[in-house]
Amino acid sequence: MMKSLPVVFARSPIAAALVAALLVLSGSFARAEDSGSAASPVEEFSKQLEDFQKSVPDLNKTIQDSAGTIDSITDVEKARAEIDKLRESVSTLLGAVSDNGPVSQLGAKALDHIHDKLRTLSQETRFKPEERQYLIGQWRKLQVETESATKELDDARAQFVGLLQILQENEDFIGELLEIRQAEKAIEVIRSLTRDIRDASTQLNKLIGGIKPPGA
Amino acid sequence: MHRALGLLASAIIVGAAIAACRPMGDVGYVEIKTVPAAPLTQTTLYLDSTKLAPIKKGSAILRQRVGTRKLQADGFAGTLAPLCDIVVKKNRITTVTISVLERPPRCQCRYSGTDAATEHACVS
Repeated sequence: MMKSLPVVFARSPIAAALVAALLVLSGSFARAEDSGSAASPVEEFSKQLEDFQKSVPDLNKTIQDSAGTIDSITDVEKARAEIDKLRESVSTLLGAVSDNGPVSQLGAKALDHIHDKLRTLSQETRFKPEERQYLIGQWRKLQVETESATKELDDARAQFVGLLQILQENEDFIGELLEIRQAEKAIEVIRSLTRDIRDASTQLNKLIGGIKPPGA
Repeated sequence: MHRALGLLASAIIVGAAIAACRPMGDVGYVEIKTVPAAPLTQTTLYLDSTKLAPIKKGSAILRQRVGTRKLQADGFAGTLAPLCDIVVKKNRITTVTISVLERPPRCQCRYSGTDAATEHACVS
């Protein structure tokens, strides 16, 4: 025959204490499980708010930086300055190879020296005819090579002259091309900024969406 | 000690040479073309008072300080005959063609000045 529980507990106080302890422990385990599976709405909101607040100063800085960048890349003077810089670079190179520039003068000096040597050797009496012929042959070889090197110099000079002339004769058109390039850069900056603002907006929407009044 | 002094002296000499070679101030270019083009131009030309080397193959590009230069040729009785003024601008080329068959040689500017000061001068 089955005995009722109060009767059992009344007869055995130890069993009653064990059951009570089991009930208390099981209750506290259940609470611990709840808090582990999901944060409370307050905690969730705090976390989202914190994330959003952290991202706001970054976004402000990005906006300021982008505005500065766009200001600088839509500056017409900057395009002009770029052409000037380009012209200066070509001019420096042209300076070296111009007819009165240091490199050209070196070539001319080298050729003058070879011509002097050939003239002297042709009148030289210290050597046997075959020795003299050999030396003249060597200097002639050098003459051909030096002339070929100075010819390359002439080509480089012509190229730099052409480049500099293109730069100065098409200055306005090149300026416009540079401005187009800068405008393209501005679009990139705006696109990147738009992406950042959209991300912030999504974050803000999540934050607002997460606010649920009790009982809602 | 002697070695260090030697190195220092070399460094000073090299530095001075580099500084001496560096062009002073802003520079531009004068391109002189001669027609008809000859392997070597016989006409002696001057930029201000500087005698120019004979022009090879009808063309020469000369680095010049920014400013206005006077292109001249040998005239009668050892005098210099002015041909034209050339305005040199920073990092720009001013091109002038000289007709050497004429006496005196004649200047033909690629671009001539438009304002009163440079009206008869070649500009870039």
